[in-house]
Formats: sequence, C-alpha cells, structure tokens
Amino acid sequence: MADRLRASRCPRCRRLVVPPASICPDHPVRMEEASLPPLGEVVSFTTLHSPPEGFRAPLHLALVELEGGARLFCHGAATEGVKIGSRVSVEAVDSVFYFSHMGFTDRARLFWRRAGARGERVAAIGKSVVKGMWNRRPRGED
Amino acid sequence: MWIAGVGMTRFGRRDENLQDLMAEAALAAMNDAGIERPDAVVVAAMNPEEFTGEGNYGSLIATRLGLSYAPALRVETATSSGVAAIYAAYAAIAAGFHRSILVVGGEKMTHLPTPRVSEIIGRSIDPHEKSYGATMPALAGLITRAVMHRRGLTLREISQVAVKNHAHGARNPFAHFQEPVTLDTVMESRLVADPLRLYHCCPISDGGAALVLTTDRRGVRVAGIGQGADTIAVRYRTDLTAFRATQAAAEAAYRMAGFGAARVEIAEIHDAFAPFELISLEDTGLVPPGKAGRATLDGETAIGGRLPVNTSGGLKARGHPLAATGIAQVVELYWQLTGRADGRQVEARVALAQSIGGLATNNWVTLLESRR
Repeated sequence: MADRLRASRCPRCRRLVVPPASICPDHPVRMEEASLPPLGEVVSFTTLHSPPEGFRAPLHLALVELEGGARLFCHGAATEGVKIGSRVSVEAVDSVFYFSHMGFTDRARLFWRRAGARGERVAAIGKSVVKGMWNRRPRGED
Repeated sequence: MWIAGVGMTRFGRRDENLQDLMAEAALAAMNDAGIERPDAVVVAAMNPEEFTGEGNYGSLIATRLGLSYAPALRVETATSSGVAAIYAAYAAIAAGFHRSILVVGGEKMTHLPTPRVSEIIGRSIDPHEKSYGATMPALAGLITRAVMHRRGLTLREISQVAVKNHAHGARNPFAHFQEPVTLDTVMESRLVADPLRLYHCCPISDGGAALVLTTDRRGVRVAGIGQGADTIAVRYRTDLTAFRATQAAAEAAYRMAGFGAARVEIAEIHDAFAPFELISLEDTGLVPPGKAGRATLDGETAIGGRLPVNTSGGLKARGHPLAATGIAQVVELYWQLTGRADGRQVEARVALAQSIGGLATNNWVTLLESRR
C-alpha cells in the first residue's frame, strides 16, 4: 500500500487540501499539517488528445476525492474501466500524483489490512462488493 | 445608467493588429452614440503583452483613438474582462467621476500557432493543476463528464447547443462562422478532451467590441450588473455541475435590477464549451434545474423559441476574442432591444448577458432593459 499523502487542514473550517497550502482557500488563516490515506473515489476524468507541450497524448487526467473531502488531480496510465465513483489508490512519485484503479481483490486485500475487528473487516469487504456492483450497473450516458 | 451607442468588428481571422481592431469597434460605438469626446476610457484586454508584445493598453488605445486627454485604465478578469470593463465604467460614472465613458475590449490571437495560444490562455488556470497538463478544454472535459453523470445531460443535448448557435451565427454578419452545422458533424467531430469534441469548443478569434455608457437618458438602460467568484483551483470546489460564480453574479444583478429571471426574454450566454450554455441557463435561473438540455432540443432557446439564447451565434459561432466577448454580448443585446438585429431580430424588452472568466472563477451577469 502506498504512503499517506501530505495535506493541510484549516484550523477554522477543518477543510483539507492536497497538496498542502499555507493559507486556507476560504479563510485567511495558516493551515496545519495533515496526512491522508492514499485512497479515494473518482469525481471525474478525461483524456486529452492534444495535451500541452511537455506531455504525450493521450494524457489521462482524473480528479479524485480522498476520504475527508480533499480533492486532487492525478495522472493515470489509462481510463479504461474507470467510472465516476470508481475506487482508486493514489501514489505520489516525485511529488506528482498517479491514480490506479483497484479491482475487487485489491480492495479486499486493502480492507483486510485495515485495523479493526474481524467482523468490521468482513463488513467493509461486503460493502465494497455492493458498491462495486452499484458502480457497474448500466447508466444511460456513461 | 444608459448605453449611448455600440460597435464591434467582425470576429474571425483578422489581418489588422489589436490596436486597429479596438479602434474600429470604438469609433463605431462613439459614432453610434453621437459622442465624440467621452470623459474617460476603460480598456479590456486579457493578455496583450503575450499575444501582441504591447502593454500600457489604456494609454495606447486612448492615444490611438485621438482621446489622449482622457483618463484611461485597463481591467482584467481573464476571459470575462470585457464585462469587468463595463463594470468599472459603470462604477466610475455612478460615483460621479465622469458622465460618459468609452468601454472597448479586444484580443488578437490568430497570428500565433494554436499551441502557443492555448498556452497563453492556460495561464489563467491554477498553476498546480496546469502542471498536470490541465488546459481549459481538459477542465471543461472533467466538468462535462461530471454534469452528464450527475445531472443526466446527454451528448445529443450538448451537441444541439452547437448546432443552434451555428444556425444563429449564419444570420449574423459579424460572426466568425456563418455556416450551419449538422448534429452528426458535431457528434462525430474529433475528441479534444473526452467527452468534449472539437465542435463543442469555441474557436480562436480576433476582434474588438465597444460601447459608450452615459448618464443621459437613452433607449437602453443597464438595469443590473453582478460579479461572482469561485476558487481558481478546480480541486477546491465541491460541486463540478454548477458554477457558483454565475449563481452569485445572477443573484447580485437581479437584486440590483429589482426583478428576476422571469422577466428576461433574450440572453447571451458564455458557451466557450457547449455544455457551459446548459449549465449557465440553470445557474442564472432562466431555465429550471435539469431542464436546459430538453429546452434546447425542443427549440425553446432558438430564434423563434420562448427564450432565444445566443442570437449572435454565441462564442461558438460569433467567435471568442477573449476580452471583446463580454462587450460583444451586450452589443448584440443592445441591437436586439433597439430593433437593429437584421436577419435575426426577436421581440424583447429585457435581456441578460452572462460571461465566464477563467474556468468560472470570475463571472458576470448583466441585465439590460429597453424603454420601448
């Protein structure tokens, strides 16, 4: 499992942002250091067919929401199989974020590693399966 | 506050330089207004330093126009700079500093290669997001996918916006594109930023637009003008399916005017990307939430419909010379309200213009009302 991601939290509104910022976007106060688990849900994604200079086509970009609400931009190797709401893991390599799509076994392994009672872990895996089916159901325009 | 006169150049690929384009629009507006010596000049240009290598644009244009006596300033709010200039002029007149002000905006871009133009426009994106290769179309692509997913907008509804606006542009001699396009052409054009296709995106255009604001009673009144803001970083927003900046701008403009969306009979909307027209129609309250796609397919927003939108052709067909655009929207509505929109005239007394700056970081809504 990848390392936790560096973030910052607003002492006023508790908002989290990634990468860490010195001042909260909503309040003129210094943010505090925080870190977040590198797991999230795809908010949206796109593939750029004529990316700007310095990038190769096709360029896959995703906006991912981490637990706690912080959103970040990520690169990815591909967007096949990715949907809005897909669970992904995020890894920072040289301060650049990359997402990878997790299959069922990856997710099960991930939940199994989490702390907590055996029953809770099994429940988490169950929820993940249901969510996966939910995300895979046909939706007109996807 | 009244509009004394308006003018604009044809938008498109123009051989003239930016000074010439602004001068053409400004002289047309002053001539239309019957005002030869306005008290002051407000100039809008998003990035003339990089597009043309020229700066100090307030003084440059004032001197170019023979108005070197006039105090001149330049304002900028990215792609909505034109309306920011109208706002600055309105505020200066309302404060009693001046009685008449020339507002002129323009951009010259087509002389540069497209990647260079995209790079310059991309400077209005949050630097961290830009470092991931995010461009305006990329961010618009993310928003389009989210809107389709969460609000059920279809690709057909989005594409119909482009079809409608091209049909309108074909009736506007000032438009960049004056040819209609079919739904198939739009839906089969090449992918730019999945799911956005080439024909969902506005072109790169040159052009200028101008108007004169005055305290003297004339035919069309600026009833309201409102500005709204959002974070420059798209990742700081919690909702991708609406623009908070438009909603706040509309609320401020309606409050100032003392009336609401129900009185608006015609609108110019910032369709830099086709889905933005649908999002913006709902953000301004002109169409109930979730209904903009259907209304477009049903022809409600076409000339002859309940609420004609972008009779000029919008950014898609009239073109988008950045800082000229917000002023050109008001020029079109002024022509409509005064019965001068030959070939595309609609019956209306109250009009709304909505302009988006950057990726909806700094938006404007303007309300116009005619005395007729």
